[in-house]
Amino acid sequence: MHPLFAHVRGLALYALAWLLAGVAGAEIVRLVAPQPFGGALAFAAPLALVFGFIVLSAWWVCRANPLAPGRLGRAATVQAGAAVQAAASWAVAGLLWALLLARRAPGWTARPLILREALLLLAAGVPIYLGSAVVHYLVQAFEASRRAERRLLQSEVAAREAELRALRAQLHPHFLFNSLNSINALVGSDPEAARRMCEGLGDFLRRTLALGARDHVALSEELELVECYLAIEQVRFGDRLQVERCIEDGAGACRVPPLLLQPLVENAIKHGVAGRIEGGTVSLRARRNGDVLVLEVENPVDESAVARPGAGLGLENVRRRLDGFGPRAARLDAERGPEYFRVTLTLPALGAGA
Amino acid sequence: MNAPRVLRTLVVDDEAPARALLREYLGAHDDIAVVGECANGFDAVKAVPEQRADLVFLDVQMPKLDGFEVLELLDPRPAVVFCTAYDEFALRAFEVNAVDYLLKPFGRERLAEALARVRERLAAGTPAPAPPATALAAAARPPGRWLERLLVRDGANVHVVPIEKLDYVEAQDDYVAIHAEGRSWLKHEPLAAVAAALDPDRFVRVHRSYVVAVDRIARLELYAKDSRVAILADGRQLPVSRAGYTRLRELM
Repeated sequence: MHPLFAHVRGLALYALAWLLAGVAGAEIVRLVAPQPFGGALAFAAPLALVFGFIVLSAWWVCRANPLAPGRLGRAATVQAGAAVQAAASWAVAGLLWALLLARRAPGWTARPLILREALLLLAAGVPIYLGSAVVHYLVQAFEASRRAERRLLQSEVAAREAELRALRAQLHPHFLFNSLNSINALVGSDPEAARRMCEGLGDFLRRTLALGARDHVALSEELELVECYLAIEQVRFGDRLQVERCIEDGAGACRVPPLLLQPLVENAIKHGVAGRIEGGTVSLRARRNGDVLVLEVENPVDESAVARPGAGLGLENVRRRLDGFGPRAARLDAERGPEYFRVTLTLPALGAGA
Repeated sequence: MNAPRVLRTLVVDDEAPARALLREYLGAHDDIAVVGECANGFDAVKAVPEQRADLVFLDVQMPKLDGFEVLELLDPRPAVVFCTAYDEFALRAFEVNAVDYLLKPFGRERLAEALARVRERLAAGTPAPAPPATALAAAARPPGRWLERLLVRDGANVHVVPIEKLDYVEAQDDYVAIHAEGRSWLKHEPLAAVAAALDPDRFVRVHRSYVVAVDRIARLELYAKDSRVAILADGRQLPVSRAGYTRLRELM
């Protein structure tokens, strides 16, 4: 449907404009085929209205033949053909209308000039139709730019939402609740430790927000965030949580997406160490092999433990963060052994300055 | 009236600070005697009967056994107040008749409220009828998921049978015998309850008294008119009723 048909008032105005054009048309008809004004008007006004609707067909023709580079010639040919066709159908309609008028009101107006009138319609129809095509192209270009703008806005909103979701997942509410509970406990027994933990928690949150707002960070910065996180978990888990770090020289300067390792360490504690009575050791390894950076997080698992719901979600988030490197440029491998779980990230080693 | 009854109380949480907090809060209540602390579900299952605990503060997510599984293994059951940072277990907690559900972090007043509820519940005479283990097992299982392991008390110990290891379950009076890895354990529970908690795509009730893992069946043999035997991979034979055979055929 032509968009004009969706607006009753617009449609009425449009029809009115064409009727007025019909009045002007009657004068032109009188120039080509001299006759009384009444007869010329009876002939011209309805035909003007009819052609007003015929030229709307340009909307479909324009849509089917957009003005794309390399297709301009084709569009011009199609439009010219459509213009001739529209003008011809108008001329035929004019011919029939004139014959009808001549037969029904023979006394009122004599119409010896029918052929001339039809030729006039044919001649005028082509430029009028082409004008309509130009207007339609303009309207469609305007709408396309509005659509593009809306799409851009939508994709921006989607990106922000994704960021927020990631952030919310990051600031795992249960981690906060449990940390607050630990602080609550320390306030009674060791106020100094409670203060330190408040400070640590604040530090962790601030770093999470700061790193999360950036596109990439140095691995060393991500590792500092992980240390903040571990310091808090250490209070909750005490001796049950041990950490082993093996960060090779040259790895720390590599560029990584922010919040890449911290969720993996969180998983290692939540689904690994926390599920074992005796706790265990989380191993953090980073090494650079030429132009490849390899990061590993490994934790022991209880052999009787069943996967808790949500265990795969964190990994999925991390995997999505790796998509930024491009298809197949980086990958995440998860391996579950009889008594351990290991996640290995392999990504391009990009220097911090590169 | 007698002096208020002293409640023997156990604190079960895998995090030391969380236990310390409860101990500190509970110290202000004269009618509460903290008789022990447990850092995991196994210890809790042992300690509750040993200490004759009236009241247990129970964390939900703990090593080995979660809070709901601990409750499933206790008989008789003490009054239970769950303490957790997760609000999503609250509904399940009340389904298993928990007295209260404390969300970490909580303060003294909230704990005092919980204790008031405990006293009310215990003063009402006999504790509210404990729901059958079935209901507990169902509540311990997140909705839409099938049982992933069976828990059996083995004296003071708890044995965990992962469902992948389970061969078949057999009804024996009020008990079920759980057969896995060539061993068997008895659990006080009706077979129907166990059957209802198992994944129907993997387990079939082939007989009034037997539920079997379909992938353990090596072959079926006609034994008499309308009655068959299922021969398991390890050579064991289980009777298959006519209805059981129909159910099996639908699945195989």
